Amino acid sequence: MRVGEIVESNSTGFVCESYELNRPPALGSLVKVHVGEARDLYGVVCYGETGSLDPGRRAVRRSTDEVYDHQVYRESPQLEHVLRTEFTSVAVGIVERGIVVQGLPSLPPPLHFSVHTCSSEETILFTENLYYFRLLLRASGPVAVEQLLAANVREVYIERGSDEEWLREAAREAASLLKHDYDRLMAVLYAIQPVR
Amino acid sequence: MDGRRLGVVTDGGFNTGLTVRLDADCPTEDLRIGDFVVVEGESNRYFSMISDIQLHVSDPRVLASPPHDAPPLVAQALAGTTTYATVEVKPMLMLDLRPDLGEATRPQRVRTIPMHFAALHRATEMDFATVFGKEGDRNFAIGTPVSMNIPVRLRLDRFVERSNGIFGQSGTGKSFLARLLLCGIITSGAAANLIFDMHSEYAFDKQTEDGRWVRGLRELLGSRVLVYSVDAKAAARRNVDVTLTVGLNQIEAEDIMLLADELDLTATTAATAGLLGDRYGGNWLRQLLAMSSDDLAEFCQSSGAHPEATKALQRKLRDVQRRAYLKEDVPFSPIDEMVTALGRGRSIILEFGRHDSPLDYMLVANIVTRRIRTLYRRKMERFEETRAEADRPPQLMITLEEAHKFLNPSAARQTIFGTIAREMRKYNVTLMVIDQRPSGIDAEVMSQLGTRITGLLTEERDIDAVLTGVGSRSFLRGSLASLDTCQQVLLMGHAVPMPVMVQTRPYDEEFYQDIRGSDQAKELPDVGIADIWAE
Repeated sequence: MRVGEIVESNSTGFVCESYELNRPPALGSLVKVHVGEARDLYGVVCYGETGSLDPGRRAVRRSTDEVYDHQVYRESPQLEHVLRTEFTSVAVGIVERGIVVQGLPSLPPPLHFSVHTCSSEETILFTENLYYFRLLLRASGPVAVEQLLAANVREVYIERGSDEEWLREAAREAASLLKHDYDRLMAVLYAIQPVR
Repeated sequence: MDGRRLGVVTDGGFNTGLTVRLDADCPTEDLRIGDFVVVEGESNRYFSMISDIQLHVSDPRVLASPPHDAPPLVAQALAGTTTYATVEVKPMLMLDLRPDLGEATRPQRVRTIPMHFAALHRATEMDFATVFGKEGDRNFAIGTPVSMNIPVRLRLDRFVERSNGIFGQSGTGKSFLARLLLCGIITSGAAANLIFDMHSEYAFDKQTEDGRWVRGLRELLGSRVLVYSVDAKAAARRNVDVTLTVGLNQIEAEDIMLLADELDLTATTAATAGLLGDRYGGNWLRQLLAMSSDDLAEFCQSSGAHPEATKALQRKLRDVQRRAYLKEDVPFSPIDEMVTALGRGRSIILEFGRHDSPLDYMLVANIVTRRIRTLYRRKMERFEETRAEADRPPQLMITLEEAHKFLNPSAARQTIFGTIAREMRKYNVTLMVIDQRPSGIDAEVMSQLGTRITGLLTEERDIDAVLTGVGSRSFLRGSLASLDTCQQVLLMGHAVPMPVMVQTRPYDEEFYQDIRGSDQAKELPDVGIADIWAE
């Protein structure tokens, strides 16, 4: 499903404007860009932000006692045109004809190209290998890397139909990568606990 | 369990041993100190022992706030990554794996170490067979490793060719172990045995502490074993073959020196015996006992002996003289006949009956052994001249209990046992010493003991003593300290290629069947005693 268009692009990732206001793809989920013939660049959503189109202007309060939440948008339809939602993704790999290569792409994705969500099958295929965790842990951005990793693990776990085995593997991989940072590791491990 | 991979080598050195990081799925509790393990290098297999187990963390912060009540996901994620275990492993033997050498290779001394990430495995049955030998004539199964069911074999011909020791604090089963070994040695014909049985334990059936009866060597092995006794009364009751008497003429000054403690003699007093020997030769003791106070005075005057000392000596020896097994003048022929019997493949157990005080034990053992060694030396010298196989004296092993009484630093220099221990196998006579205080044994003698079998020892000095002259001692201490209180021993030395911890096999019906089975083919003709020495 097409969810956005690339408005900034570089070797480590890309920024998109979301088609739907207030509805970027979930933090930590996988997205893809068709960069060539049967060739997709995959990214993990690492940040989302909604604000005014005009960087100088900030949103102001529009609700009253009678009009609030969704009604604000009904009352002020122009908001669709003065606000925008953006999301940032970390590039994590390329899938070409079913072959997954995890790592930074050789070329940044083309500007103005569409970004799609990944299906369950695509997510399952990509996440068989957990090497991409290293890229997530080196991402720079407002979201702390351990929270990003935790978000990704949660999303993927659900996409994989609550795959307990994969979750254990992901936990072990996280522990291995964060063996020298116990506090961050604990933050990840407790965050990815399945809610019973 | 068998041959399972345990981890990979991450560190270490030739002198310090190898450090192996355990795999995440191998908990420390699956391993024991002293376990036999194998490191697979590129060109060699290293047969090793576990000498230490340690825990580590990759981030010290986990020590400050360990996760408690951690959910299973967290716990299993941490195991093997943030928290991990290592074992220290000491290679003892290595086997060259290069294909061009084929089957002919045998394990040899370790001269190198494997590279990083060489895998560590549990030893398999094949590894045990490679190192300790397969079923065979002189390979005696003494027990199994502590956590496996594979036999560990002792090479009996190597065992008997040097002096050995069985050590362990009381209650660790030394006499059972001795019985096992003696059965093995006698049935395999590795050596003839002379056993000085202080407490009359070995020959006939005996009841143990927990009430069961164990078979005696005479019952199990029939006429291969002859029983002698110095106690005529006991001999009449039990099935003893020969009653031995000892003559005053057979007692030498060295015996008195050995018995100085038992007789409560000062050094001067004991030395007086030497002076008497100088003057009167072989007759010195009878002369002394017959002396009147005038004679005594005259002797002291002329020889420079201390009068009080000499009187004390006479007094003490008159006490000794009253013992029932001591006669005035006894020929050496009974002892010579013992040697003949030993030469024909018999083994001899010498019981003491009611004469089981340390004094009697030491006196008789010393006299008998001295005579036997003299004969053995003559035989050996003749063999070296004639070089005829028939003249070769058979290997003789003398079993000695309470060995520290005979082999403590002062006695070891003087007694025949000290001489035998130091001579090694010069005249084909060796000792098997059984003792619970190895620290009481002279260090030089201890270092000559080829094979040592040790049960639990708790005293530091005893542990030090037992490890005298053994390489890689520091890690063997760990193994020694972790032995069970009974039926577990550490075998090390000449008769085993590498040290190994063993659960000794029980001395029970199954063993009796085994022994009888292997003895069938070699049953000696059941002849009358007198015929044994007949031409």
